Amino acid sequence: MQADTTIAVLDSAAVQVAQTTQPLERVMLADDKLPVVLAVVLVVWIGIVILMWRTERRLARVERELDRLDA
Amino acid sequence: MDHDDLVLRTPGPLYRVFGVVVSIWVTVVLTLGILGPVSNLPILEHTARNLYFHVPMWFVLYAFSLVGAWHSWRFLRTRRRLHDVRAEQAWLVAMAFGLIAMVTGVIWARFTWYQGTNLWWSPEPRQNLVAVQLLIGGAYFVLRGSVDEPRQRGRLAAVYALFATALLPFLTYVLPRQMGGLHPGTEGNPAFSQMDIADEMRWVFYAASVGFLLLGWWVYTIRVRAKAADLRLQRALASE
Repeated sequence: MQADTTIAVLDSAAVQVAQTTQPLERVMLADDKLPVVLAVVLVVWIGIVILMWRTERRLARVERELDRLDA
Repeated sequence: MDHDDLVLRTPGPLYRVFGVVVSIWVTVVLTLGILGPVSNLPILEHTARNLYFHVPMWFVLYAFSLVGAWHSWRFLRTRRRLHDVRAEQAWLVAMAFGLIAMVTGVIWARFTWYQGTNLWWSPEPRQNLVAVQLLIGGAYFVLRGSVDEPRQRGRLAAVYALFATALLPFLTYVLPRQMGGLHPGTEGNPAFSQMDIADEMRWVFYAASVGFLLLGWWVYTIRVRAKAADLRLQRALASE
């Protein structure tokens, strides 16, 4: 079968080549592709952490304003 | 009521360090939890990793129920509004993590305990009694919402929170152990649980438990500060 670049994922030979040559895929496709799950979870978690930090900074600013108001 | 009864200590550099520690700690826990070794037993398979995420949610519920009870007690003794604020926010964190714990448990059980049965729920004692505890805990907010006068609201909510916390060990620990059930640790002496957890998973589990407790504390402090700031603003607007 002629390899078609647009459906390379369906071409087992192309997948084999990718697995052995691309360093990123060598990492991400290991262990039943668990590293992909980790990548997704970490993006979610880092998003939440950034949100927490920004909320905290904004809150600190409001607290300073209130201190000024009370003084 | 003195003027400073809602003013919190300004968070110092240590608080920043705490936030960094929590962020990194949980990131490491997530990484080890997903990529680390797993016991890989039949039925459980990779879902054994849920141990790191589902069970610590319960620890956060327990811990913050106790924090809420402590500040409820302090409010009854001192009548300082800050204790009422802390009690309410601790209770909120406890119930939020408790709800997450129950939902994650339902998902986990569906594809392990109830695999092939189409069941999402069964009369498993701990599962059911924990749902009862969450309903009792949720009623705390209904009670708060039904009283307009702040001091009376704080007093009633504090007494209710103390009773609800007193129920927690019975509904989630004593009774489920009496009745048996599918959760691990329902028979024998759970203090000697070498059989319950694989050695290579034990330390990730401990780290996850600490990490999520710290995360709960981080959320709790931010919520307390936001609520206190809100009340200070309302007071400032009322006195204008």
